[in-house]
Amino acid sequence: MSTRFEETWASPSGFPGFFAEVNNRPLGNRFMITAVIFFMIGGAMALLMRLQLAVSDNDLIGPEVYNQLFTMHGSTMMYLFAVPFIEGLALNLVPVLIGSRDAAFPRLSAFGYWCYLFGGILFYSSFFVGNVPNAGWFAYTPLSDNAYSGLGMDLWVLGLGLVEIAGITAGAELVVTVLKMRAPGMSLNRMPIFVWTILAIGIMSLFAFTALLTATMMLELDRTLATRFFDPNHGGSSLLWQHLFWFFGHPEVYIIFLPATGIISMVIPTFAKRPLAAYPLVVVAIMFTAFVSFGLWVHHMFTAGLPYLSMSFFTAASLFIAIASGTQVFAWIATLWGSRPQFRVPMLYAIGFLLLFVLGGMTGVMVSVVPFDWQVHDSYFVVAHFHYVLIGGAVFPFLAGLAYWLPAISGRLLDERLGTWGAILIFVGFNLAFFPMHQMGMHGMPRRVYTYPESLGLDGLNLLSTAGSFLLAIGFLVFLADVILSLSRGKPTPDNPWNASTLEWATLTPTPNYGFRQLPVVRSRDPLWESPPQETSLESEAERITRNLAGAPETWRGTLITSVLRAEIQAITWLSGSTYVPFLFAVGLLVTSIGVLTKFYWLAALGAAVSLGLLFSWLRPDPALEAQLRDDPAVRKTGLPVFTSGTRALGWWGALTFLTVVAMIVGALLYSYFYIRLYASAWPQDGLPLPGFWLAGAGYAALVAGALAQIWAGRAFKDGRTGRVKLGMALALVAGLGYVVLQLVDLSRLGFAPQANAYASLFYVLAIAILLLALCTIATTAVVFWGYAQGKLSESLPLHLEVATLFWGATAVLGVLVYATLYLSPYVLGGTP
Amino acid sequence: MNQDGRLQSMLHPVSQAAEQIAGLWWFMFALLGAVSLAVFALLVMGLLRRGNPPGGSTAFVVAGGIVIPAVILVVLLFVVMRTTMALKPAEGDFTIQVIGRQWWWEVRYPDWGIVTANELHLPVGRNVRLEVWSADVIHSFWVPRLHGKIDLLPEVVNPFTLRADQAGEYRGQCAEFCGKQHAKMAFMVVAMPPDNFERWVSERRTPPEPPTEPALRRGHDAFFQAQCHSCHAIRGTEAVATIGPDLTHLGSRLTLGAGEIPNTLGNLEGWIANPQAIKPGNLMPRSYLSSEDLHAIATYLESLK
Repeated sequence: MSTRFEETWASPSGFPGFFAEVNNRPLGNRFMITAVIFFMIGGAMALLMRLQLAVSDNDLIGPEVYNQLFTMHGSTMMYLFAVPFIEGLALNLVPVLIGSRDAAFPRLSAFGYWCYLFGGILFYSSFFVGNVPNAGWFAYTPLSDNAYSGLGMDLWVLGLGLVEIAGITAGAELVVTVLKMRAPGMSLNRMPIFVWTILAIGIMSLFAFTALLTATMMLELDRTLATRFFDPNHGGSSLLWQHLFWFFGHPEVYIIFLPATGIISMVIPTFAKRPLAAYPLVVVAIMFTAFVSFGLWVHHMFTAGLPYLSMSFFTAASLFIAIASGTQVFAWIATLWGSRPQFRVPMLYAIGFLLLFVLGGMTGVMVSVVPFDWQVHDSYFVVAHFHYVLIGGAVFPFLAGLAYWLPAISGRLLDERLGTWGAILIFVGFNLAFFPMHQMGMHGMPRRVYTYPESLGLDGLNLLSTAGSFLLAIGFLVFLADVILSLSRGKPTPDNPWNASTLEWATLTPTPNYGFRQLPVVRSRDPLWESPPQETSLESEAERITRNLAGAPETWRGTLITSVLRAEIQAITWLSGSTYVPFLFAVGLLVTSIGVLTKFYWLAALGAAVSLGLLFSWLRPDPALEAQLRDDPAVRKTGLPVFTSGTRALGWWGALTFLTVVAMIVGALLYSYFYIRLYASAWPQDGLPLPGFWLAGAGYAALVAGALAQIWAGRAFKDGRTGRVKLGMALALVAGLGYVVLQLVDLSRLGFAPQANAYASLFYVLAIAILLLALCTIATTAVVFWGYAQGKLSESLPLHLEVATLFWGATAVLGVLVYATLYLSPYVLGGTP
Repeated sequence: MNQDGRLQSMLHPVSQAAEQIAGLWWFMFALLGAVSLAVFALLVMGLLRRGNPPGGSTAFVVAGGIVIPAVILVVLLFVVMRTTMALKPAEGDFTIQVIGRQWWWEVRYPDWGIVTANELHLPVGRNVRLEVWSADVIHSFWVPRLHGKIDLLPEVVNPFTLRADQAGEYRGQCAEFCGKQHAKMAFMVVAMPPDNFERWVSERRTPPEPPTEPALRRGHDAFFQAQCHSCHAIRGTEAVATIGPDLTHLGSRLTLGAGEIPNTLGNLEGWIANPQAIKPGNLMPRSYLSSEDLHAIATYLESLK
């Protein structure tokens, strides 16, 4: 007999219901299951590669297929397994770890999952069209340009685009969840370390994935519309791709690695039966790593002929980030010291991780050193290094995390013996497979080769490595068997089988969809180990509120919003129930991608139109729902607001993360502009005329004026001056449309096409980026204005007005930067260097 | 020809530069190996002992996780800077240009007008200035016994200094994935005593005389009849195309197909008949010559020493 509350939170039933799920728990599981399936496919590809390389001059697999295999292996592991697995684990665990009921944007979670799945499907559909991506997982230009690569690379780019969108939305989601939805009393310094790592990577994802999204969009434009960003024959730069890619690529590996360390920081204290040592230092180490990881990317380009001075800077940064890792390693050792832990399966993987990660970290320090990297870059030495840090440093923690948390997720125990055997096989197989690769590299075996001559004398090492890889695969299969047996026939688990200290074990097992019937009030870092007696009036007020919300709200999904630093209660928020909109939106994007791919551009337009329509329905306020929220008895009893604005509103934070992403896109394009300028022999290139700045200047001035008008309207709203609000927004709309017209006229009178050269391509793309942003801003403002002018005063109006203002601010600021770059800087930076 | 892992080994240097780098490797191996063992020992101690870490948790973490690594890394950085400075490119006695193409290496000696492919000849003990770039996608020039690698980019010429301190033949390979036959884009560096090198240069500067002997004459004519000159050049004849490797002195080259097979008459016939069977996907199409023509052309080309 389920209560009304349980029904509200129940998963939608039946087959169609599968597509309407938005709750974090089932979606998190879906991410993880899909990721594991991709892991197995990618792993099978690796085994095929190792079979081909087992002996020299082998002809089991030819160059064409082999090059596709290593491209798909790397792309699958890096894009379709590692990050999505973490997204899934985080989506599942973070809300319950922080004492909340769901993530901040449930529909966004669902949308992210479908984008990820469709992206993966696009990738793999390449096998069915007989044109598989084959330019490596980092797709260097010009090899990945359409002069040297076929349709497979378009599938790679578009599939990857959808996966990148999933990464960005997951990042935004997790950041806002961690900042705004923690249980009352869980101040930042009481957050579990895993949650700190998720906060870090959420922020990182907004910048890193966006850089990749921009780069892949530029590549697709080069491939389909003959723009010249990366085309050296028309003023573009092949190295520009490398800079943009690795600006994503290096933080990407820390996006994978930091949560892995977060898992270890949850497992080790539990088995040591002690809190984590030096918690504040570990937090600093995590945030230091997150930040500094953006300053390392050139260490992937040490052989490209860059200036010595700049390379030295990147060596120093790459060395010093190791200190942060060292801090974490010693914190774990200190936690374990003298604790005599039990070597259950999660601990086995944690110890294995420590051993392998230290080795991988040491070879990482070595390859940070330029002269040494000149020898081992692009050789099997570096293949060894990154597998030690990715398998040892990330997959081992993932396995530890699964062994540790599956009981909470499924309600069943895993088999200790099977788990132990799996861990031993994986550890031994891994080292046999990858340790010899250090030597293979130093003896001259480059990477990405489908065969090697007998004269290199590397047959023995390669055979050993192949044998090891199969042992490793068997180990993974044993682990998988353990999981499957547990899920189907495992013994039910007691509530807190590991005697852990954190909140995920404080609720029912398996964790229900709603997380907590009564939201907890947190008073320490380890709530299940120590709960100091209640002291402050704030805490007793928090207890009163959470008591009133036990099993409530009943007819809609709601949870608490708290402040960023000290988690003081601010409001109750509505969370979406099951809906098909996110799934359909993702389908719209898939259709758009297929339209671009097949060059049926009407299909692309159709997909885009459907998506825009759905977006409108997603964001539109619903008066009936608002009435239901307003009149809810449980909410009334708490006295908390349910309609908020500013930093108390999840939507405000969502808009902020969206605009961060947009700013990053523009930032990446501006970087590209100045990079091309730096190496161009004349500016503008090929004798193109200097841009006339009056017409465009008027347009961008209009943008600024529009922003000011909108800000004025916002102020007037706070003062209750209705007339002024309408006037301000109307002026903003007119100004915005004025900008659009002026910019379009200016572009039509430029006298050159985007295909002329890299300068031209960047000119158009930067101007169009602001145009598109302005159109978004105008649309948002128009919708708010329409509702306001009709007297339909929705409860969400204050928030929507703020969001419109945020959009105007971003558009104006980014617009001014782009104007200065495109229309003014050539006068300052022009001529020949 | 199994050389027990020595053929392309950075740990068997034959130049000062490669020696410096190998030395750096051994230093780092010792230093970081010792650090790893120390960390493992601490882990084992911690698991076996009772009580708290020495000095208390926070001091342990600060000392072991921050202070000691910082000191070690500063030492390492200092040693690295010294090695990097020692490896700065020096003035070269002459220039070799290496142009990367899918999947072979065009090699030019601009000072003397010599053009060859897939082989570099240099004098022992002299600095040689390399200028490298690509005609298509990114490649990377790597001969581990002599130096680290340098990328060949399409948009800029990268300078490099190469120097061999021991006579011998050293194998190198492309080290940046460049498409289908990346794995088979190798080359040889031949280091010889300076006198021999001067002789090599003067021999190569003079184009070969047109053949007079009838068998070679037949091969020469068949070469043109088969349209080989639409891709290949032979100095001293009307063949001037630069799409494929220059064949002016093919007879004295060590390998065919960019390091793929040894250069013998039989192998050359096989290559001309069907290069796709040996290096599938490379840009030279198979030919449909009679066996007499095939033999004649191969004999003629092998005579071009």
